[in-house]
Amino acid sequence: MDAILFIAGLVLSSIVAAIIATLYSLVLPGIERKLQARVQQRIGPPVLTPGWWAVLKFWYKGKAEPIAQMPFFYKSLVWLGVAIVLLLLLFSTPYWWGVLGWGSILGLAGFLKLEEVLYVLMGSQSQSILTTPMPINDLVKGAKIKGVIREFVEQHSAERALKMMAIGSLPLYIALLVPFVAARSGMISDLIRVQNPVYFNSSWFSLPLPSNPVLLTVPGFLAAVVYFVGYLMLLNERPFNILKAKVDVIEGGVLEYASKLRAGYYLMRNLLLFALSSIFVTLFIGIPFDPFMPLCLILNMVLSLVLPVAMAILVAFSPILTFRQIYPATLGLSALGVLALILSVSL
Amino acid sequence: MTERTKDKESVVEKELSLGPVHPALIEPFRIRLFVNDEIVEDCELTINMAHRGIERLFEGLPVERALLIAEKVCGICSNVHAWNAVRVVESGLKIKVPDRANYIRVLINEIQRIASHLIFFGHAFEILGHETFSMRSFLLREVFMDLMAYIGGNRVMPSVPVIGGIRPRSDLTESLKRVILERLDDFEKKYLEYVDRILADPLVMSRLAGVGLLSKDDAIKYHATGPNGRASGWDYDIRRMMYEYKPFDFNVIVLKEGDNKARVVQRALEVIESLKIIRQVVKNLPEGPIVNRDWIPGEMDYTTMYFETFRGELMHSYSLDSQGLIRGYKIRTPTPTNLAAMEKACIGDHVTDAVLTIASCDPCLTCCNRVEIIESGKTRIMSEIEVVRKYGWRR
Repeated sequence: MDAILFIAGLVLSSIVAAIIATLYSLVLPGIERKLQARVQQRIGPPVLTPGWWAVLKFWYKGKAEPIAQMPFFYKSLVWLGVAIVLLLLLFSTPYWWGVLGWGSILGLAGFLKLEEVLYVLMGSQSQSILTTPMPINDLVKGAKIKGVIREFVEQHSAERALKMMAIGSLPLYIALLVPFVAARSGMISDLIRVQNPVYFNSSWFSLPLPSNPVLLTVPGFLAAVVYFVGYLMLLNERPFNILKAKVDVIEGGVLEYASKLRAGYYLMRNLLLFALSSIFVTLFIGIPFDPFMPLCLILNMVLSLVLPVAMAILVAFSPILTFRQIYPATLGLSALGVLALILSVSL
Repeated sequence: MTERTKDKESVVEKELSLGPVHPALIEPFRIRLFVNDEIVEDCELTINMAHRGIERLFEGLPVERALLIAEKVCGICSNVHAWNAVRVVESGLKIKVPDRANYIRVLINEIQRIASHLIFFGHAFEILGHETFSMRSFLLREVFMDLMAYIGGNRVMPSVPVIGGIRPRSDLTESLKRVILERLDDFEKKYLEYVDRILADPLVMSRLAGVGLLSKDDAIKYHATGPNGRASGWDYDIRRMMYEYKPFDFNVIVLKEGDNKARVVQRALEVIESLKIIRQVVKNLPEGPIVNRDWIPGEMDYTTMYFETFRGELMHSYSLDSQGLIRGYKIRTPTPTNLAAMEKACIGDHVTDAVLTIASCDPCLTCCNRVEIIESGKTRIMSEIEVVRKYGWRR
């Protein structure tokens, strides 16, 4: 009976969490764009346009088949991405903490890595007309160098995604470890127990506030800074958007997504924007995204605005960095993350 | 000057081709980068994607009418084409231009030079990925678009010069002079803050400094004129040789570094010199007529005039037949040679930096796409589609 109740709770909490997260995540890009616009002395778009209306608009656009090496696989990658990001968020919610150890550092890091792999796969599949196949007479006229591979810009983006996967996102994973090391456990439930002990004994309508948030410690703060930069890297936002730099690789692997697929990609990106922010609030402040504790859920959502807002301001003032700058930046941030990790042992 | 030596053992792994339809290119041209991982080992730029046959349009037109077409060669540097076109006939037919008209011609030219350089900043920072600096630049440019509209009646095509002087509507009134000076003061304050912020931004500087190196020798070899040559240490500015600019005191900005940062800084400083010239025009504007109508169109030998446009050296050349109709109009804009220099400058850069380097020469493709193909001794113009039909294409 307990098992059935648990499964029912798990399914219900997952559905509620997924719906709330999806709806809320559709507002975040609007806030982000509005802030960027204000920094740039522009009015900016209405708050609901970049998220909510853009997704709806693309959803009802005429169907356009992408040009890809394996079209079915390429199309399915979007929906796989949405599922990965949703699961990533769900693993940080309380009902999942007890399921096969997925509510742990391993579950989070594993799904984050999967999400990164998606860009490599998308890039290697997409074959837009905007690049190599464009019918230009320069091939007839010849070239300085002949007989070399002609690469699609999306493939070039996939190579960049691979580099970012290997090096660029390293700081995020180091920062992710810090709260777990501070709690001396790999499980999110233990981490919450250390930071917010009253949470487990609270009723559904109460608001259990953390007494010992890791963010307010020196290693926690350092890790939060590193996490924020890693957040930008994972979201491919400036200054770390080299794998979708408009200037050369245009949109990267997602270039060929149109209509419903583009709507799906926006859903994935918006959900990731929220999921990473919500996970930050859960891990560093100790307030989980609990669909059965409304006040706790609302507080998590409100605090989740901090990272997108900070991102919007930073993005407005940042150019695109190339690997010439990304490598040293990553090394420096990783070093900072390692320092936070060492310091967190003493907590 | 840091000279980059090309590695003779460099390996070209693949080709990355961008354009002519590409969001980073505001005008159509083709970039073929031959790269090893992320490093550009060689580059090939193909222009002539938007051929309009504008030189052919001039053929046989009365000279006064044809000059309206000259202004439409380009939207950003419309005034320089109009002015250099009238300079040709004024030089060929020995037409004297009143001093007041020359002053106002210089004024509108320097206003458009600033507007052009601010477009360059907008475009360069967009390619750099810094939207805020890009948009700020376009906001600052509005001052000069307004001034062009006040003086010429149009923001893009002010049509100020006519043969022998300027249009009557472009004469400066006392109130307009006051407006110009007030707007300049306001602009200068904001502009200096803007430039200070750019130069103080470590992220922006890390992208610009030491990237896209073009040596002085290469600038001269490829004839990279204008700000590009001057940013590589080549002290060459035709304005110093033009009698129209003799009354004005200004410095020619020459930097030695030859990188993308130098090309940005050179233009930033040139804007300040242009402001200096505009103030001198307004304060020392002589009284007198604004146009000399005492001339008759007639036969004129081929006459060539050079001009320092915002991107480099511009040439207009044509002759007039006995009825005063234009024959053999030729225009050479600075972009083809500047782009050729950038093919060299971007070698050794990262792919993303290479596109920035190419943009740093401020290419203007609508100006330069006027090529004619010579077949069997006969000159004729072929469109792109004709070339493809004739020679075919393959993926």
